[in-house]
Amino acid sequence: MRRTYALFALVMTLSLIISACGPTPTQAPAAQPTQPPAQATQPPASEATQPPPTEEPAMTVEFVGGMPPVDPLAVSGDIVTAGSSTVFPLTEALAARFQDEGYAGNITIDSVGTGAGFERFCVAGETDISNASRPIRSSEVESCQAIGREPVEFRVGTDALAVVVNPANEFLAEGVTLEELAKIFSNEAANWSDVNPAWPAEPILRFSPGTDSGTFDYFVEAVMTPAYGDAGEETILSAANLQLSEDDNVLVQGVEGDQNAIGYFGYAYFNENKDRLTALKINGVEPSTASVDAGTYPLARPLFIYSDASIMAEKPQVADFINFYLTYVNDEIADVGYFPASQSALNGAKAALLEALSNAGSE
Amino acid sequence: MSRRARPGETIIQGFLLFCGAVSILTTLGIVLVLVQQSTLFFGSGELDLGEFFSGTEWQPAIGKFGIWPLFMATLVTSFVGMLVALPLGLCVAIYLSEYASPRARGILKPVLEVLAGIPTVVYGYFALLFITPLLRSVFGANIVQIYNMASAGIAIGILIIPLIASMSEDALSAVPRSLREGAYGLGATKLEVAVRVVVPAALSGIAAAVIVATSRAVGETMVVAIAAGAGPNLTLNPFEAAETITGHIVRISGGDLSYDSIDYNSIFALALFLFVITFVLNIISRAVVRRFREVYE
Repeated sequence: MRRTYALFALVMTLSLIISACGPTPTQAPAAQPTQPPAQATQPPASEATQPPPTEEPAMTVEFVGGMPPVDPLAVSGDIVTAGSSTVFPLTEALAARFQDEGYAGNITIDSVGTGAGFERFCVAGETDISNASRPIRSSEVESCQAIGREPVEFRVGTDALAVVVNPANEFLAEGVTLEELAKIFSNEAANWSDVNPAWPAEPILRFSPGTDSGTFDYFVEAVMTPAYGDAGEETILSAANLQLSEDDNVLVQGVEGDQNAIGYFGYAYFNENKDRLTALKINGVEPSTASVDAGTYPLARPLFIYSDASIMAEKPQVADFINFYLTYVNDEIADVGYFPASQSALNGAKAALLEALSNAGSE
Repeated sequence: MSRRARPGETIIQGFLLFCGAVSILTTLGIVLVLVQQSTLFFGSGELDLGEFFSGTEWQPAIGKFGIWPLFMATLVTSFVGMLVALPLGLCVAIYLSEYASPRARGILKPVLEVLAGIPTVVYGYFALLFITPLLRSVFGANIVQIYNMASAGIAIGILIIPLIASMSEDALSAVPRSLREGAYGLGATKLEVAVRVVVPAALSGIAAAVIVATSRAVGETMVVAIAAGAGPNLTLNPFEAAETITGHIVRISGGDLSYDSIDYNSIFALALFLFVITFVLNIISRAVVRRFREVYE
């Protein structure tokens, strides 16, 4: 009998141990966001952060002085954000930094896509900040106004797509045009020679981010729709030899592994893997910080966050977070993998914040 | 031991009953969720059952819901897996049960168990980073794509060898000694005893092992998600990339699809389909065991 009790006790201790093991993994993610900033402040940052100070240092200093300083320790209350999955990692990085520096409230960041984000901001009115990888549409502004919100736009950065091929690929050394790119990713072409007779008669192996990613949507919008209209999405999705993955690493491995492969994803991810892949020139323009800044690279898109003056007046923590966001976004953006917005765009965002704050104050 | 009821006894019995009930309740819960969500999918009006079972294109984003490309990939990877695992697993089982010295058994069995304990994600990368390059060097990089069903299938095969080997070995060892001795008495060689007496006698157990292993191969997820490819592709060529049912479920559930969207609900319909396949396989396996079991007493 004693033995049964011992067995029972053993079972109970085991189950206790198992349940005790449970919480530890859940704690880990909370600790994670603090690590990335420490690891990598170099890659695109070194190119990106240097030019602006030499160009217009006076402006920068003036505006940093002009912004009311934020002390995260003094900020309390929760902040709710939702929207673009592309902006998500950027907002997440800044939220993590905000919390590291002492902010004690909760920041909710839902990655639901730009459109769904605006629906929650403008129709349901349940979010304080909306993350967006495109400017707000006039229909969305109208529904915002209908619930008494006047969206204020803050430009926080730029994302660019890199179209990549295997380093052994020679026939695309001169790059492609947007029209060729659309045809390469369409169901009209099975072999490379179907797009251009000078190219080899080998099958095109396509690697694309998954259909629920903003990157896919952007590619369809910027490349497929101009060539195929509303059938753009269907044209790419019914193409043969198409691999779709949310995991960019799957795409990198795929393109690296096959001479006849082509793929696309965020420039940042290419930058991390640039010794394994070749980025194509699009319409003759190579993707780089300079061409993205100058607006000549065709596959670059702006990243925004939106809020509203009355929300900022009601919840000062939202204004403080946006202030903090705009102050430190250029420290974080390269780590997340995007390009910094031009200094004037960022200054414009800071000016918009100051204006919204003073409006709110005068009301 | 007296018959007097002891409080400790009751607690333990209750606890054990609870443990047994947990697995049954879990299964019921899974079925409930799958059926519920699949009803949302089939009831959405965006497709009919005929399209689901006969369509040759699966691309939820543009409203193409034909299960064949995914199902075919599942069949191909499982078939390749069984092609590898069945002969190897059976040979291992025959060796362990009929030929191996106790010393060899003592070493081999734990090694097999280690093989069974390796996380499947490791097999996935083993397939992608070792088997695929090997296949490409043998057949040529133009024929074997970087993601392909053959390498995933081979890795699945290696993965289920221990399952087939240990279940078959149990069946072979259960064959009574008298049968072997009778065959030896008639002048049979060791090989003849093993292949023509012991294996047929244990056939029901071996068949059950094969079916359980098949349902394991059909349900294998990580290996195919990593090595087989990430795009639905209707093909029988194992050197091409194609996405299996499980691989598709993993990929879609890993993305940020909103709940209640048709794409999201579709993965429950796929899971239900998969559940039905493995469930049917398990029922067949039980029936086979019952029907073909040879009882020696």
